[in-house]
Amino acid sequence: MLDRMTLVIDRLSKRYGDVVALDEVGFSVAPGEIFGFLGANGAGKTTTMRIVLDILRADSGTVTWRGRPSTELPRRTFGYLPEERGLYPRMRVLDQLVFFAGLYGVPQLEARRDALDWLERFRVTDLAGRRADELSKGNQQKIQFIAAVLHDPEVVLMDEPFTGLDPVNVALLRAAFLELAARGRTLIFSTHQMEVVESLAASIAIIDHGRLVTGGSTREVRRRAGRPVVRLAVDGDVELAWAVDLPGVRASRRSADVTELTVSPGTDPQSILHAALARGAVVTCFEIADASLEDVFIELVGRPSTSAPAASRQAVEPAA
Amino acid sequence: MSGHPDSGLLPNARLIARREYVEKIRSRAFAVATAILMAVAVGAALVPIGLRALDREQTTRIGVTSPSAGVTGRVIDLVSQYLNPMPPGADPATVRPHYILRSEPNLATGLVDVDAGRLDSVLEVSIGSTGALDFTFHGNDGPTSATIQRLQVATFGAAVVEYSQNLQGSGGPAFHVPSFVLQPTDLGSSVAPVDPAVAGSRTLLASILVVLIFITLTVYGMWVATSVASEKASRVMELLISAGTPRQLLVGKVVGVGAAGLTQYLAILLPATLVLALQDPLATALIGPADPGEAPLIGLTLPILLAFGAFFVLGFLLYAFVYAAAGSLVSRPEDIQQLAMPLSFVSMAGYFAAIFGMTAINSRVVEVLSFVPFFSPYVMLARVMLGHVDAWEIALSLGLLVAAIGASMWIAARIYGAGVLLYGQRPGFRTFLRVAIRPGGG
Repeated sequence: MLDRMTLVIDRLSKRYGDVVALDEVGFSVAPGEIFGFLGANGAGKTTTMRIVLDILRADSGTVTWRGRPSTELPRRTFGYLPEERGLYPRMRVLDQLVFFAGLYGVPQLEARRDALDWLERFRVTDLAGRRADELSKGNQQKIQFIAAVLHDPEVVLMDEPFTGLDPVNVALLRAAFLELAARGRTLIFSTHQMEVVESLAASIAIIDHGRLVTGGSTREVRRRAGRPVVRLAVDGDVELAWAVDLPGVRASRRSADVTELTVSPGTDPQSILHAALARGAVVTCFEIADASLEDVFIELVGRPSTSAPAASRQAVEPAA
Repeated sequence: MSGHPDSGLLPNARLIARREYVEKIRSRAFAVATAILMAVAVGAALVPIGLRALDREQTTRIGVTSPSAGVTGRVIDLVSQYLNPMPPGADPATVRPHYILRSEPNLATGLVDVDAGRLDSVLEVSIGSTGALDFTFHGNDGPTSATIQRLQVATFGAAVVEYSQNLQGSGGPAFHVPSFVLQPTDLGSSVAPVDPAVAGSRTLLASILVVLIFITLTVYGMWVATSVASEKASRVMELLISAGTPRQLLVGKVVGVGAAGLTQYLAILLPATLVLALQDPLATALIGPADPGEAPLIGLTLPILLAFGAFFVLGFLLYAFVYAAAGSLVSRPEDIQQLAMPLSFVSMAGYFAAIFGMTAINSRVVEVLSFVPFFSPYVMLARVMLGHVDAWEIALSLGLLVAAIGASMWIAARIYGAGVLLYGQRPGFRTFLRVAIRPGGG
């Protein structure tokens, strides 16, 4: 019954010649959810999104939204922010937005009004009359986002929407995400920025080399797949060499004031605190947390999310 | 990609066509090209008037020979009177004749003079047993030249006068219609075996229109390919393809570019056609009234314009879909040339078939080619203007063309749907074929 309400991606497979782009990838996304779709470059994220949009056909497997196959849905069901941004270089921003909304069936006046609303929300009303090739990268990206959501699609698919945005614009975009989700829209986005996923996405899926590695609620994935992390700070001791020497403990990240320690599954995190107190150290910070998504990613995929793409796939699918 | 409830052609094809059209005709390059071509076309339309003016400057010398000195003299008098009409009120002493006719002792001496350049041609008059005249023209003028057309009329007149002078009472021989035979003096020069009933200006006009179709199909086809390729290069394509079906995008693109092309066409052709339509009044104003018998300037008629319009529009559609498919396969507009080359060979083949076919317009080869879709816009147009074509032949040719457009649209949509997502491919004819056969393959 739940399946009838969700976006279900069921055992998608796709090959480009000899290269396997997707191998039985499947997951589902609940309506009104913000969903993080993670994977290194070339993992198959773009291919999956293109199949959901039906601009690419899978060799096998299906995509359904609320029980209907995506191939039979109106195209306006989906909004898409491609990773490779593209606008008509010489067309004015507002004309451009009205044009794309028009392709999704939005009447001109309505599209114009909503486009101006969005421009205002992103604090760029002055761009309405500018040509796209006069815009900065960040501004182009905001326009591209507006183009993806202007027809108010039920499901928005976004490939790397946060890349290249400054912190102010990241905050604006996050606010827009939350607002769309609050209105019941379903948002699926890919990113390399794990902090963004941690704070925005209720659920995630991680794929690698065309295979689903893990999926589920973000908290559950962090708890299930990763080792717990201890954040520790001791007055007058930045090195914490003694802690790293404890069995089942290693330092995973050091910052100016706090050291992050990864703890093996068999080790009790409390033992670190005991050891610290036994040494008479003045503990200024002790926190037990789930592993960060970045750690989970490295653990499962074997390399950081920002690592280079698999070379063989580049030729057929550079935007993946 | 069927199955989507919003996959009908409209309204998206219309939106895309409108955007394409507006962007195209607003561009500076479009305005500049249109202005230049407009000037060229008006110039070209004035050429026949200029030719006529030049023609008048020339003096044509014709030797006349016959077995009877009396007949020779009378033919010279009559023919030169006809060939050199005196403008009303002009002083005969000051008017320079366009034709000088002089007596030659015999054909051989005349031909020697032609060889030496002292004469342009020789008119040989033979006298039958009843005194009836026949004429043989030894010269290089084709049957459609103004000189020959006027000589035919003039010699006929001379024969009538000669007949009436020989008539004694009643019961004489019946009037013999004089024959007029063309005998080229220099076999090296080509005399087109065109039916003399077809005016010579038609051949010129047909060549111009065929060249026009060739240029515009190629240029506007490249517009389509470039437009598709630059959408791919700017990556706006990915947005388009998720908002519309390949068929909507393709048809919109082709119609939008086609409309822009048609706009340019009309902007170029309207002033030129106006000059052509007003050619006779214009000629009169510029170089004086037409001499009697002077060849009509140009034979532009409504059926020709209609045929031209139909073959231009349908030919454009056929080629444009293929150009669009080609454009969808390259990653950068600069790479189009490689795919456009084989296409322009096809176009060129049709063009040459039409141009060379004009000398054998009723041959079987030309007939067959005039039904072959990629060639018919050229060849059938030439046949309509120069040969004999039945209405059913035109209908069949147009029908096949329309069917081919449907097929090329279908294939192009397949290629386009797959091609627009391919980047970094080596553009080539093989990619084109492979994607056409199996769009989903890698």
